[in-house]
Amino acid sequence: MIAGPLLPLIALAAPLVIGLLAALPMMRDRAIRLLPLAPLGGLACAFLSPLDADTQAPDMLLGATLGLDASSALFLGFSSFLWLMAGLFAQAYMGDTRKPAVFTGFWCLTLAGNLGVFLARDVATFYVSFAAVSLASYILVVHEGTERALRAGRVYITLAVLGEACLLVGFMIGANAAESLLIADIRAAIAGSPLRDPALALLIVGFGVKAGLMPLHVWLPLAHPAAPTPASAVLSGAIVKAGIFGLMVFMPVDGTIAATGLGLTAAGLATAYLGVLLGLAQANPKAVLAYSTISQMGLVSAAIGAAMTSENPAPALLAASLYASHHGLAKGALFLSVGVVAATGRRFLPLVLAVIALTALSVAGLPLTGGGLAKTALKGQLDDALIETIVALSATGTALLLARYLFVVAGQCSSDAAERPAALLLAPFIATAGAALILPWILLPGFGGIARGYAFAPGTLWTGFWPLALALAITGLAFALKLRAPRIPEGDIVVPLEHAAQAAVSGIRRGAERLRDAPGLDIDRLLSGLDGLERVEARLARWSVSGLLLIGLVLAIALALRG
Amino acid sequence: MTAFLPVLILLTSLVPAIATFFLREESARLRNTFSLGGAVLKLALVGVMLVEVAGGTVYETRFAFAPGLYLLLRADALSLLFITLSAFLWLLTTIYAIAYFGTSSDLSRFFGFFSLCVAATTGLALSGTLITFFIFYEILTLSTWPLVVHKGDGASLAAGRRYLAYTMPGAAALLVAIIWLESATGPIEFTIAAPLRDLDIWSLRAIFALFIAGIGVKAALVPLHGWLPAAMAAPAPVSALLHAVAVVKAGAFGIVRIVYDVFGTTLVDELAMGLPLAILASFTILYASARALRQVDIKRRLAFSTVSQVSYIVLGTALIGPFALIGGLVHLVHQGLMKITLFFCAGIYAERAHIHRIDELDGIGPRMPWTSVCFSIGAMGMIGVPPIAGFVSKWYLGIGGLQSGQPWVIVVLGASSLLNAAYFLPLLYRMWFRSAPGATERERPREYPLGLIAPPVITAFASVATGLLAGSSLSPLAWATLIVERYYLP
Repeated sequence: MIAGPLLPLIALAAPLVIGLLAALPMMRDRAIRLLPLAPLGGLACAFLSPLDADTQAPDMLLGATLGLDASSALFLGFSSFLWLMAGLFAQAYMGDTRKPAVFTGFWCLTLAGNLGVFLARDVATFYVSFAAVSLASYILVVHEGTERALRAGRVYITLAVLGEACLLVGFMIGANAAESLLIADIRAAIAGSPLRDPALALLIVGFGVKAGLMPLHVWLPLAHPAAPTPASAVLSGAIVKAGIFGLMVFMPVDGTIAATGLGLTAAGLATAYLGVLLGLAQANPKAVLAYSTISQMGLVSAAIGAAMTSENPAPALLAASLYASHHGLAKGALFLSVGVVAATGRRFLPLVLAVIALTALSVAGLPLTGGGLAKTALKGQLDDALIETIVALSATGTALLLARYLFVVAGQCSSDAAERPAALLLAPFIATAGAALILPWILLPGFGGIARGYAFAPGTLWTGFWPLALALAITGLAFALKLRAPRIPEGDIVVPLEHAAQAAVSGIRRGAERLRDAPGLDIDRLLSGLDGLERVEARLARWSVSGLLLIGLVLAIALALRG
Repeated sequence: MTAFLPVLILLTSLVPAIATFFLREESARLRNTFSLGGAVLKLALVGVMLVEVAGGTVYETRFAFAPGLYLLLRADALSLLFITLSAFLWLLTTIYAIAYFGTSSDLSRFFGFFSLCVAATTGLALSGTLITFFIFYEILTLSTWPLVVHKGDGASLAAGRRYLAYTMPGAAALLVAIIWLESATGPIEFTIAAPLRDLDIWSLRAIFALFIAGIGVKAALVPLHGWLPAAMAAPAPVSALLHAVAVVKAGAFGIVRIVYDVFGTTLVDELAMGLPLAILASFTILYASARALRQVDIKRRLAFSTVSQVSYIVLGTALIGPFALIGGLVHLVHQGLMKITLFFCAGIYAERAHIHRIDELDGIGPRMPWTSVCFSIGAMGMIGVPPIAGFVSKWYLGIGGLQSGQPWVIVVLGASSLLNAAYFLPLLYRMWFRSAPGATERERPREYPLGLIAPPVITAFASVATGLLAGSSLSPLAWATLIVERYYLP
């Protein structure tokens, strides 16, 4: 029934089984303790499962095919690691949370979906996984049950459902064009479909919702702060990457649709800059980080767009994978740091802030950090000098934004000056940050196509360094001039959008209210005039009459059958 | 014995029906034994038949009815799709109904007609000729009416009146169509191509339209759907059966027979009747979803959802293509499983917590977890959330639409998914995220007895399993594919 390596199936089944275990009465109150176990299968699979050996489970869904290539193994590996660290962090952070069993169950379902997105080789499995990660994470967002969380959840679920519908339609067009369910076939065939443009647009919208492509980003700055911190970490580190991964595997890269690629690049770069500007105007540390994620994912989307127009797309996509994996780990660590700082007193704060600053600088692309390497690899794939400069300058924005984060998060430290963060808060944070700094060093030759020594070249150091120096100068200037950023509500355009959506919904409702059955068919009223009929009816309703009538009929048929 | 298998299967419902009519009200145990025994026996026989038909057997039993008229019971793969669904859900609904009614009155009448209704559905599925089909179609109408008016109050009687007012003209239209057609061609058997081309094209179109109008009443095609939301006045087990198996499915099944077995796809294409039917079905899908949005009564909202969902089957039929037909046929089963779950749950809410309106659902989730989880699964399946069965139907319908050169179908499917989400998600939100107004732990409604709770749990589980294991050779999808491969592919 199942052919090929079993490990990918185990990686998906493990979180589902653990999630169900959480519902057992004996486990309910201690369910949070199960969280670190759930991603172990995925982690093992990323390291041990052979590449390009597919697992076939023809009975599952529409015939499930699971498998890994270099890029998806990287996504699977770093995501599983982040889920593991976030699960450990939750031990200390959420020990006495409300509804632990519900949280654990949906955490595991989201995790299974997240890993399934990376493992799926066929579109049905991908769609199921994507739906699981999109819809189940709603429960993580609204876990606190506050009015703010519920509002964030509303915005989130609306966009997620919209995204799912777009993806479904896009997938149908692709599968029809390919006459196959395999993602690779769909990617190859979709450019030849007569419905190519709507299909690509729908896919970009569907994945763009998850990846925070503007203007579909509005859920991130609401959902990330509303969710409990470990959930924010996986939302921003791993779940958002599902959208990026979707773009990477579904967007055709044979160069036939350069216009769409250019469009995606432009949208991505716009997102990268607008994300910074809007993020600088935030006061909540998690909202600042959310905008940083939006901005960074804009950059990765732009790289994917560039790969679509490129003649040699494979290295560009590998470099984008490397960049995304570094960002996943680093941003995961930064979200965890919100919880660490809240449990750190003034005395130990500088140490924690130093680790945060190093991680932040890595995200901004400081030379010789993991992020610096990833950025070098990414820039190496952009053949356009203008775009290269735009990307380099975006690092200035990132640095500014993360300096802003450092500033606002430092204000949220514990009031007890001597408080030290618990080991289970600190260790996952440090481990994730460390992984972010080191991982690109290991993967640079394979994914960046660059020797490690290239990182030490003066040119590389300089292009990595000047945007940060510029950011430092701007920050210093802002402090000196006591510049204050304006306040923009979390989710920026979400406020007018909500009003518009509300108006649209009530419009549809009013429209629906006007829909009536065609007047000519209101036979009910016609009949109510005939009161004789009601007497007949009352008689028929008596059991003896109607039963006998029916028995007669049945007997007649029975006789007929016998004859 | 195999030659009599179709008759035996029919009798497993018919005999309990007749026997139950003669039972006194007090003999509850005997009555339940008849119903349950018949249902279990039927399921076993259907199992045997499934294996045989999968191997290629076709059962045929002929009876002379009157000079020149004969009844033909014929079990092919398509019949079995419908019979298996009805046998499985009949058993569960009987269990549910026994628990639901407890010791209330008029139960011999109820269970008698209940079994008769299932017998009619079975006969309809087994019908091999138009006349046989018509006879069972009418028995179905007559045996359902007492179920709709079972409560005997004003609302039920009005619903029953409305039901007859819609179905009787529908039956007349169907009869006219049959007579018109057969007067030119002679008796029509579904498997034998009749010389339809003897008629001119406009007559054929008119006959096709009459068929659709006649059968469309039961399939609740807009604007012939008015009876279905009204019929929610019936007791919960009746609604469950009506919406999942018996009446609306008989209509949808009939439309498949008319398009594929009476006219045939080539002729429907030539008559250019496929597209209008597909448009009518699409309109029904969207219109009924929009109507569902406004309903405040749970069962009424579910009823409009049925109107919308059954038209998926009609749409799949009208698009005329292998994938579309697979999608339509498999939805016959999937919609049945999911919708019966929803109606079972609605009945439990009404019985155990006196909840009828949507705004009364606030906070019911944690208080009635079994029911609410099942309801949530059914609702999400209707939206098309994978891996619950609904998405498989949608997938095949969408691909089918594209294959038939009708890309607008996927827009209809996408829009309908969004509308489904718009009218189901608020219910789930109320159930799980609103707090119950003034409810305390001690007035927690109890979920009992097992007979009431187990059926929705089983059907909800089946809804997930049929989607999750759709690729398995035992799934409804595999069976629908077999039907299409065996009969309708050149």
